[in-house]
Amino acid sequence: MTRPASDSIAVAGTHSGKGPWMRAGQKLRRDYYGLAGLLIVLLYFFIALGVWLGFWGQDWSAAGGGQWESAGREHWLGTNRLGQDIFQRAVFSVRTAFEIGLVVAVLSTLIGAVLGAVAGYFSGRWIDELVLWLKGVLDAIPFYLFVAAIAFAFKGSAYAMHIAMISTFWTTTGRLVRGEVIKLKHQEFVEAAKAIGLDEMRIIFRHILPNTTHILLVQATIVFVSAIKSEVILSFLGLGVQDGVSWGLMIAESTQEVLVGQFYNFITASLFLFILVMGFNLFSDALQDALDPRSTGSRP
Amino acid sequence: MSGGRTIIVIGIIGLALGLQTGCTDRQPDDTAPVKIYRHALDGAPTNLDPVQSANIYASFLVTNLYDTLYRYKYLARPYELTPNLATGMPEVSADGLTYTIAIKPGVYFIDDPAFENGRGRELVAADFVYSIKRHFDPQTLAQGAWLWQNRIQGLDQWRADGADYAAEVSGLRALDKYTIQIRLTRPYPQLPHTLTQGFAAVVPKEAVDHYGREFAIRPVGSGPYRLLSFSGVKAVLERNDRFRREPFDPAAEGYREDQHGFTGVRQLAGSVPPLSDRIDVHFIQEEAARWNAFISGEVDHIRAPTTQLGAVLESRSPIRARPEIAEKYHLLTPLETGFVHTDFNMDDPRIGYHQDPAQNTRNKALRCAIVKAFDWTARNRALYFDLAQVFPGVIPPVTPEFDADLDRSSVSRDVEGAKALLQQHGWTPDNLPELEYGFAASVAERQSFEQFRAFMGDIGYPPEKIKALAYASFGDFNRALKQRKVMLITTAWYMDFPDAENTMQLFYGPNEAPGSNSANFRNEEFDRLYEQSSVMQASPERTAIYQRMNQVLIDECVSITGLSRTFVLLWTKNATMYPDLSFLSGHFARFVDIATDRHEAE
Repeated sequence: MTRPASDSIAVAGTHSGKGPWMRAGQKLRRDYYGLAGLLIVLLYFFIALGVWLGFWGQDWSAAGGGQWESAGREHWLGTNRLGQDIFQRAVFSVRTAFEIGLVVAVLSTLIGAVLGAVAGYFSGRWIDELVLWLKGVLDAIPFYLFVAAIAFAFKGSAYAMHIAMISTFWTTTGRLVRGEVIKLKHQEFVEAAKAIGLDEMRIIFRHILPNTTHILLVQATIVFVSAIKSEVILSFLGLGVQDGVSWGLMIAESTQEVLVGQFYNFITASLFLFILVMGFNLFSDALQDALDPRSTGSRP
Repeated sequence: MSGGRTIIVIGIIGLALGLQTGCTDRQPDDTAPVKIYRHALDGAPTNLDPVQSANIYASFLVTNLYDTLYRYKYLARPYELTPNLATGMPEVSADGLTYTIAIKPGVYFIDDPAFENGRGRELVAADFVYSIKRHFDPQTLAQGAWLWQNRIQGLDQWRADGADYAAEVSGLRALDKYTIQIRLTRPYPQLPHTLTQGFAAVVPKEAVDHYGREFAIRPVGSGPYRLLSFSGVKAVLERNDRFRREPFDPAAEGYREDQHGFTGVRQLAGSVPPLSDRIDVHFIQEEAARWNAFISGEVDHIRAPTTQLGAVLESRSPIRARPEIAEKYHLLTPLETGFVHTDFNMDDPRIGYHQDPAQNTRNKALRCAIVKAFDWTARNRALYFDLAQVFPGVIPPVTPEFDADLDRSSVSRDVEGAKALLQQHGWTPDNLPELEYGFAASVAERQSFEQFRAFMGDIGYPPEKIKALAYASFGDFNRALKQRKVMLITTAWYMDFPDAENTMQLFYGPNEAPGSNSANFRNEEFDRLYEQSSVMQASPERTAIYQRMNQVLIDECVSITGLSRTFVLLWTKNATMYPDLSFLSGHFARFVDIATDRHEAE
């Protein structure tokens, strides 16, 4: 009988009697920067949740104000060229960012996990070579060129950006998982599973892959923030969000506005993006440190 | 590496670069002052073959590199035709079917290796015949054939028979070395207008044969300029020294002291175009970069971006430049020769024609409600600095057929009326169809869409039912129009010539997609009137027919229309010119004079 995944991690490297997740939790709690990052992410998630539930940000498309009104009681962060409320648009963009971040992070991590695990388990065989070749090909294509090609192929589809990101972002996760699986497949619990005759797919997905969770978690947060940043850049270039609003679109709008001294759109979108990216970076760094068994404590 | 050696190496590299520059630039005389007019375009052409000059970028270059039989007078407004390569206006037979055009003798193509001994030969009538035939040759993939399709006797059949250039076309002949005869299948009063366009530019067969596909970037014409260099960012044109000597006559070009006095063009009387030695055409797509290039003195003329108008204008009515602008630049604010409009795709049963007559009526009510809900005043204020002219229908103010007294209810917002119309025909937020608003992705187009969605929100149209259909490029968008895939089509139509026929044909049934009728509008009365008017010379009777057709379009709510933009044109006071952005043409450039001498090495 094979052991549960959490025990497997304990076998992989323990220093004390505590489980790895508990130790990670303790480390994370001591990392104040990481906690601040987590708070920021949770705050943004709360905002996104409110938009999803229709509590706020619903009037982002209404053009009820005058052109380029200054910040005031009615429009907290002023209005844009069409008289739309910039704060409402920035708040609604949190939902856009989380939608894209979540979809891309979940799917690319999933694909990376599966392909990385299969390649790692069958390393040196044709399936491993195939995955490595695919990864090499995708990594060789400049990302923004790839997105443009996908956008062209999908004729302006709203999901061209998602497809392009998922297609390319899984490769790093896949590479890390492959390396970890190559290490794990020679461990005793895998040998034991083989000895009792479990089939290979069951070994990979029930017993080896759960032991890469720490990698997947950290990678998912990194991909999440990369997806948000890429979305902003792509939307700015006209290749991203096709319907709705995002910080990238707001910054694109602002390119015409800053020349005439209107900075509200630019500053608002940039600040919303900056704070979220900063929060995610702090959190993912802290998570990485916490889940790394070689790490000894919080950052200085 | 020691400091001394570094200096030596840098010096050698600098010398090498200097030599390299000296090798690649053609400088007839390094010390001679050169008048360089620097023009900016917001896009770059990819093909300079006249049969491909379908956009303003290619057309600007083509009309300066090649000759056309006619052009518009430099200064006259409304626009008036004047001979260019032709010796006079065409002789037209009594039945309006035969046009005889004499061309000027002694006009030569530029010297080019395509010709025997590299010496440009004389341009003759047969060259024009050859150039028009090329539009009907399937091998050229030409874009201008629609101007003459089913109009010139035998030309369509010539294509069907395999486009053999040796075969004569009965309706398109060179009667002698200097006389062209065009015989039409039916009267076509707009024919002379079509002969002003880059599409009708005259090319030599030797150059087409010599360069093959490369002819797209190796223009060999007889225009006032010849191409010196061409890339994705800049084209350099230098004076064609063999261009015919025709001194500038302000009176003949339509000079009026009250309109043109401020430009100083009268002082150029007697000068022989082209007046500038060189034209540098900068292709600067980004609006801000284009504006900065102008402000920093890198280009001489610009159409000011709308976002900058607050900094340019002191007053909108009357339009007046701020003192600091007026001190440095000339200002001209013509209305565009075209209009902006949003058509409904009548082939889409959700909004257009429906086989069920009851649904058909409901769809029409929905279209009319959308038209009523559209706020042209807000559109003009937000996107056009309140300078555009809103008008009902599709006959723009610059055309002679424009009716200033036409009822304006189709361009006056009526939110309550729109709501009532929806209610009366059973439209509710639940059963309203999803609207797909198509556009080529850009900030300005997206803002147009967002504003449209906000307008519709005011009549209770759920925002989530108004979708953006963004295409990566205008080419993709245009392709989708041709395939009838776009439900709401916002476009700007640049007229080909100053005649309302050119806007009416946008709604003529047989022109439906992939033709120019992107709305796929089909109306028996409209089509009958169009056919009747299309063979008529300009007259009050024809104007009355155009205005009736206009009313049909308004009544059928086939389009949210229209708005003609005011172009705010600025040019440096070093340049003596009267700029013109109309009708896909760049003929005005030959008359631009630059007071400040600029050396070619600059």
